[in-house]
Amino acid sequence: MRLARDAYRAVIIGGGVIGLHTAYHLARAGAGPILVLERGFLSSGSSGRNGGGVRQQWETRSTIRLARESVAAYRSFGREFGYNIWFRQGGYLFLASTRAELAQLRIVHELVSSEGLASRMVGPDDVGRWIDGIAPGATVGGSYLATDGTLYPFPVLWSLYEAGRSLGVEVALGTEALGTVVRDGKVAGLSTSAGPVATPCVVNAAGGWSAEVSRRAGLAMPNVASRHEILATEPMKRFLDPMVVRVRDGLYFSQSMRGELIGGIAVPHAPGTSRGVPSSPQFLTRMAGALVDLVPRLGALGVLRAWSGYYDDTPDGLPVIGEDPRLPGFVQANGFGGHGFMLAPAASRRVAAAVLGEPVDLPPEEFAPARFLARGRAGPVEGLQLG
Amino acid sequence: MDGETALDALARSGFPRVVRSLRYHRLRGPFCGTGDCTGCLVRVNGRPNVRACRHPVEEGDRIDAGNGWPSARYDLLGTFDLAFPRGVDLLHGFRRPWWAVPWYHRVIRALAGYSAAPDPAAAAALVAPPLTYEAEVTVVGAGPAGTAAAARLVAQGRRVVVMDRQREPTAIPGAEVIGGTNISFLPPPDPTAPRPFLLLGFREPGQGISIQSRSVIVATGAYDAPLLFGGNDRPGIVAAELALRWAARGRSPALGRAVIVGGGARADAVLERLGASVRAVVSLADIAPSVAARASDLGIPLYPRSLVLEARGGRRVRSLKLRTRGGGPHFSIRCDSVILAHAAVPNVQLFFQSGAAMGWRPDPGAYFPRTGPDGSTTVPGLFAAGAAAGLGRGEAVASGARVAESIAAGAPPANAVAETGSREPGPLEGYYRELLHEPRRGKWFACTCEDVLLEDVEAAHERGYRGIEVIKRYTNVGTGTCQGRYCLPSALLVLSLLEERPPSEVGYITQRPPVVPTPLAALAGLRSVVPEERT
Repeated sequence: MRLARDAYRAVIIGGGVIGLHTAYHLARAGAGPILVLERGFLSSGSSGRNGGGVRQQWETRSTIRLARESVAAYRSFGREFGYNIWFRQGGYLFLASTRAELAQLRIVHELVSSEGLASRMVGPDDVGRWIDGIAPGATVGGSYLATDGTLYPFPVLWSLYEAGRSLGVEVALGTEALGTVVRDGKVAGLSTSAGPVATPCVVNAAGGWSAEVSRRAGLAMPNVASRHEILATEPMKRFLDPMVVRVRDGLYFSQSMRGELIGGIAVPHAPGTSRGVPSSPQFLTRMAGALVDLVPRLGALGVLRAWSGYYDDTPDGLPVIGEDPRLPGFVQANGFGGHGFMLAPAASRRVAAAVLGEPVDLPPEEFAPARFLARGRAGPVEGLQLG
Repeated sequence: MDGETALDALARSGFPRVVRSLRYHRLRGPFCGTGDCTGCLVRVNGRPNVRACRHPVEEGDRIDAGNGWPSARYDLLGTFDLAFPRGVDLLHGFRRPWWAVPWYHRVIRALAGYSAAPDPAAAAALVAPPLTYEAEVTVVGAGPAGTAAAARLVAQGRRVVVMDRQREPTAIPGAEVIGGTNISFLPPPDPTAPRPFLLLGFREPGQGISIQSRSVIVATGAYDAPLLFGGNDRPGIVAAELALRWAARGRSPALGRAVIVGGGARADAVLERLGASVRAVVSLADIAPSVAARASDLGIPLYPRSLVLEARGGRRVRSLKLRTRGGGPHFSIRCDSVILAHAAVPNVQLFFQSGAAMGWRPDPGAYFPRTGPDGSTTVPGLFAAGAAAGLGRGEAVASGARVAESIAAGAPPANAVAETGSREPGPLEGYYRELLHEPRRGKWFACTCEDVLLEDVEAAHERGYRGIEVIKRYTNVGTGTCQGRYCLPSALLVLSLLEERPPSEVGYITQRPPVVPTPLAALAGLRSVVPEERT
C-alpha cells in the first residue's frame, strides 16, 4: 500500500475506535491532513473484539463524567453517522456475592448518584426479576443503572471509517508504524511499512500494542497487554435486558440484539501480545461453569463461538491521554484497559485537543502520561475494572 | 444404522417444514443431512435449537417449532419477508424517528432467535459427569479413512480412541469407538506435555468429552457445497447427503420429483439411489459419461453446462429456472426438490484451529491442510486422512493406512509438506463469473443461518470493505449456527470476483471454537478436567 502524501498534520497509530474517532474530530476541526495507520484489517483489534458494554458506574468522578458524555454521544450516534449501532439502554447490573462486595457497590452507587445519574441499590428479588432462573442464594443484591447499556461495536467502526474518509482522513490498512523520527527533541516524522512520512505529531492509539509503540519511540510506559476471552451462545428470544457483571470474578454477560448471550470471565494468561488471539479450553470451560452455576437453565444452550482480544492495562486502571512530556509531539491515547469502546466518544475529543495544542479538561494526576514519571506518588485509582 | 430421529418422524408425512428463518421469517426445511444447517431446528422437551435430524425420538417427546407466530407453519411475521422484497438493511435502517427506536428494539428482539431460553428441566437433563480419555492416537471421524487408520494402529498394538458423529458407528475391534460425539475444539498442541493434544467436545445431547492424546488423525470427511441462486433457501432444496440418507431409510418419497444438480460421482450416487423419481440432471459443467449412461437408461433428461437461476415456488420448490451457459433461452423444470451434488468441500475446521498451514485448491474451491505424502500436517503429531485431506473416495482407505504406518513408525518431523496452494481459477469461479451477470429475481441467500443476502455482500464491497474477515463482520456471513459451512464456500468465490484477486488473498475467517454448537452444560462439566494453562 502506498501513502497518498509524504507529510501529515498528525499520524494516528491504531485504526480502532480511539484512533478513528480522534481522526474524525481532527478532520472536523479542519486540522489538516490526517493519516491513520492500521496494522491489520479494520476491526481486527480490540475494537472488533469487545462485548459492546457501555456503562457509567465507576469509582472515579472524572471517568463517570467521560462515560456520561459518551453515552449521550452514542444515543445520537446513529443520527450523526447514518449507521444503526443498536445502542440499547437495558442497564448494567453489578452483582455482589457477599456483604463486603455490596458495601463496595454502595460506595460506587453514592458517587454515581452524586453525579446526577439515577443508579440504585437492588436486592436479590429485583435481581431474580431481571435474570429469570438465577440460582437461589447466588447473590445478596447489587447496583443498577438503567441508562447504561450495550451496542453493536462494528457499525461504530464503519461509521467513523467512512465519516473520516469523507472528510479527507487517510486510513492505511495493513500498514505498520515502525519507529518515530525525532529531531531537536521533538517528533519530526514516522517510519512506516509503507515508507517514511513527515509529521509534527504522532498519536499512540495502538491499544494492546501501545507499550510497544511507545518503546519504538524510545519511551518506557507501564502499560501491559492482557488477553481476555469472550463467547457467544446460540441466539434465543428476548431473555435478558441488562448487562450483568459479577464483582467476585468478573463474570459478565448480556444479550445482543441478535439474541445471543455474549460474555466473558477473567482467566489468567501470560501477559503480552506474542500469542495472538486464540481461544483457550480453560476459558471455555470456566466461563461455561460460572454461567451455568449462576443460571442453571442456560446449560441447555449451545456455545456458538469464542474469541479473544487484548486489554491495554495501566497500573492505576485509568487511561493515558495527553502529550508525553518526554517527547513533544507524541500524544498518548491508550491504556483503556478493556473500556476504550465505552469511553471513546468523550476520550477522543480530549485526544484531539491534545493534538491541536488546546487545553485538555481532564485531571492530570488521573490521565496525563506524566503521572507515571513521578515516582512514589500515589494518585487516584479506578478499581472497578470489571465488565 | 442409527435409530429413528425426530426428522425421520416429521418426514413421514411429507417434506418437513418446521423452521422460520431469523431475519425474514421465511419457511425453511432440512438441507444438509449431517446436523449442521439450521433447516430442522426444533425445541425438544424445553431445549432450544435441537436439530431434529440428530435427536432420537422417544415416546412422549414434546417437539415444538420454536420460531413463528402463531406457528412456524402459518407465521404472521412472515409478512416481513414480503414487506422487504429486496431485503432489509439492519445496519442503516430503524434509526428514525428517534422516539420509535425502543419499539424497533422490541420488534428486532422478537424476530431474533429460533426459540425461547431453555426450560430449567431441559438443562437439568443434560447434567452428566464428563467422559475423559487418554490415548496414543485419537481418530476424529470413523468413515473409511478413519476406520482404516484405527484398524491398522490397533494391529500395531496402539491405544486408539475413535470419535464419530454417527450415534452407532461400526465397531473397530480393539479400538474404543465412541458414537454420537462431536469434537468441537482442537487447540494447538503443547509440545512439552507427554500427550500434547487436548481435544474437547461432547457426546449428544450434552455430556462433555476431553481427550489427551499423543497424535491426532483428523478424518472428518467432506460435505456437499452450497450454491447461489434465487430462492436457494426454499424448502425442498437439499444436499446430496440428505437425499442419500433419506433414500437409505425409505424416506425419499418426501422429495417427490427431484432435480439433481451435478454431473460427477456424487450425482451418480444420488441418481442410483433415487432412480426414476429424478426429473432431470442439471450440471454446472459437463456431465460424466457414467451419469449420462445411467440417466439415459432411466429416460431422464440431461442439462449439461447450465446456470441455475431461481428456485420458484411458495411453501416449497415447484420449479427450477435455468439457462444454458454461454447464452441461450431461459427454461424451467417442474420439480418438488433440488438435490445439490455439484461439489464437495472438506471439513477442515480442526486443522485451522490447531494452527496447521492451509492451502487453497481451486477445484473444488476450498482450503485444505498442507500435507506430506504420509498425511502429516505442519503441526507435529497431527495428520489428515481421507476426504478432509482432499483425497477421493477410492483413496480413503489407503490414505488412512498410510497415516497409521507413519505414526507406527514414529512419524518424522513434518518437514516435507507438499504445496497445495494455487492461484489458478477453479471451475466454480468461472461459473459464478457468468452467473453474477444474470438479472436476479427473488432473494439470493449468501447465508441462510443469518439471512444474509448476496446483495448485502455486494453492498459491503461497494462501500469499500475488502477481505472475508471484514465482510464477515459487516454482513454477518459466517457467524451463524452452521459455523460458516454453508456460506463461506460461495462467499469466498463471490468476493474473489468482486475484489479481482484469488480466493486465497480474500483470506479466510478464523475458525473459532466450537466446530459444532456445544452445550454450556457439557463445557461446564469439563472445568475440573481441563489442565491449568502454563503461563
